[in-house]
Amino acid sequence: MIDVQSIRDAARDLLTRGEVRAVIGYRRGSRGMLAEPVTITDPEQADELVWDATCFHNLALYLVEDRKALAHAQRTPTLPIAIIAKGCDARAIVVLMQEHYFKRDEVYIIGVSCEGGGVLVEYKLARLLNGAQALSAVFDGDELVVTTAAGEVRLPASEVMADRCLECREPFPKEHNVAFGEDKTGRQLAAPFTALGRFEALSAVDRWAFWRRQFERCIRCFACRSVCPMCYCDECVVDSITFPVAPDTTAEEKANRIRWIERSAVRSENITYHMTRAMHLAGRCIDCGECERVCPVNIPLRLLNNKMELEARERFGYEPGASIGGPSLVASFRDDDPGQFIR
Amino acid sequence: MSEEQAYEPKIVAFLCKWCSSAGSDLAGVSRIQYPANATPITVPCSGSISPLYILSAFNKGADGVLLSGCHIGDCHYIEGNYLARRKIYLIKELLEMVGVEPDRLRMSWVSAAEGAKYAQVVKDFVADLKPLGPQDKLKADRT
Repeated sequence: MIDVQSIRDAARDLLTRGEVRAVIGYRRGSRGMLAEPVTITDPEQADELVWDATCFHNLALYLVEDRKALAHAQRTPTLPIAIIAKGCDARAIVVLMQEHYFKRDEVYIIGVSCEGGGVLVEYKLARLLNGAQALSAVFDGDELVVTTAAGEVRLPASEVMADRCLECREPFPKEHNVAFGEDKTGRQLAAPFTALGRFEALSAVDRWAFWRRQFERCIRCFACRSVCPMCYCDECVVDSITFPVAPDTTAEEKANRIRWIERSAVRSENITYHMTRAMHLAGRCIDCGECERVCPVNIPLRLLNNKMELEARERFGYEPGASIGGPSLVASFRDDDPGQFIR
Repeated sequence: MSEEQAYEPKIVAFLCKWCSSAGSDLAGVSRIQYPANATPITVPCSGSISPLYILSAFNKGADGVLLSGCHIGDCHYIEGNYLARRKIYLIKELLEMVGVEPDRLRMSWVSAAEGAKYAQVVKDFVADLKPLGPQDKLKADRT
């Protein structure tokens, strides 16, 4: 188990010595046990940092936000920014660096291993607690220690953990400047792609019936896109509201811009949006599961991204977030790529 | 209209300008008879076909999408068709996963000298699309 004090000390030292300009981490949120993302710039604030089973967020997103803010302010900082990264977050940072979004020396990665745990899912926990309000939740070995008003409860970790954490093979951030916790790479609490395998066994008719229902429910809030560290484009192809309008943009240009799909939240447009997103994330999605977590109507978006990940691994031997210098999935090829479908 | 018209699938064909586009021209000047269902769109390279082109074509009412480029090893840009092969494989898998008939998306290699092959590819595609009926899964309802 990681002592949260060691993470706080590391953050404080980095800020005191002036090695980084800020630390992105988690602090206790204003609602019960949940953690929330925080950026600290003052060593005094280091004691606010927390590390527990509610640190859901993929903080790599805030590196992207930081980058965008800097570009907007036209500033080039001299110091790197530090970030607390789980295994999946570190893979996301690797993908961003692979795409030259920032350089390795511009970010200081404080790696934290999830060890035998991961993050919990609120609804799973609520079901097990029978309505009791959890005040804190920390993984200890293969158990989750939950504190409620009535006292301490120990629950089996596998029953409250997120699916993606159960399927995770890399709970340790391979890319790091400093790391805390035990390296448990290769641990597998559930077979990878379990949900996907179950889904793919369905017939084409049933698969369509499933997705049809799911995509009819999408309200196009774009939460999945907002929370995704890989969705960093300034202008999104599916959302014409981000069409850059300059003072010299004519009305005709505005009216005639390409609209690949419409913004209305109807099934056909929703499905095109989600499939486009899945394609754009092929070979880049590191399965942090944030899109699925933030979805207000609970569309199982991980299935789409997992499908691309599975194909990348099985057909092309490609693992997203494995190396900074390696080629990307769709910008590389091999002579023996599958081509039997081509006439 | 008293008689109901037979269903004719609408095909959007993205053709590489260096080969398949010239191949379709050759089919024309050679007076080869083939179905008129395909609307050709010339693209600079099969590797330049974004998956969004395909999804958008289905969204706007295509019953089938045909992609055609140079044979492996013959790409004008050396590696464009290798990249296309990978991308199209992925989008085909994704369509199948969502439950859209994967037969609605077809890819072929047609060189500038293969007018007869282009005609055959279109003929086969139309024949395969007819039993599937109109595509209404990705098609936008604009009524």
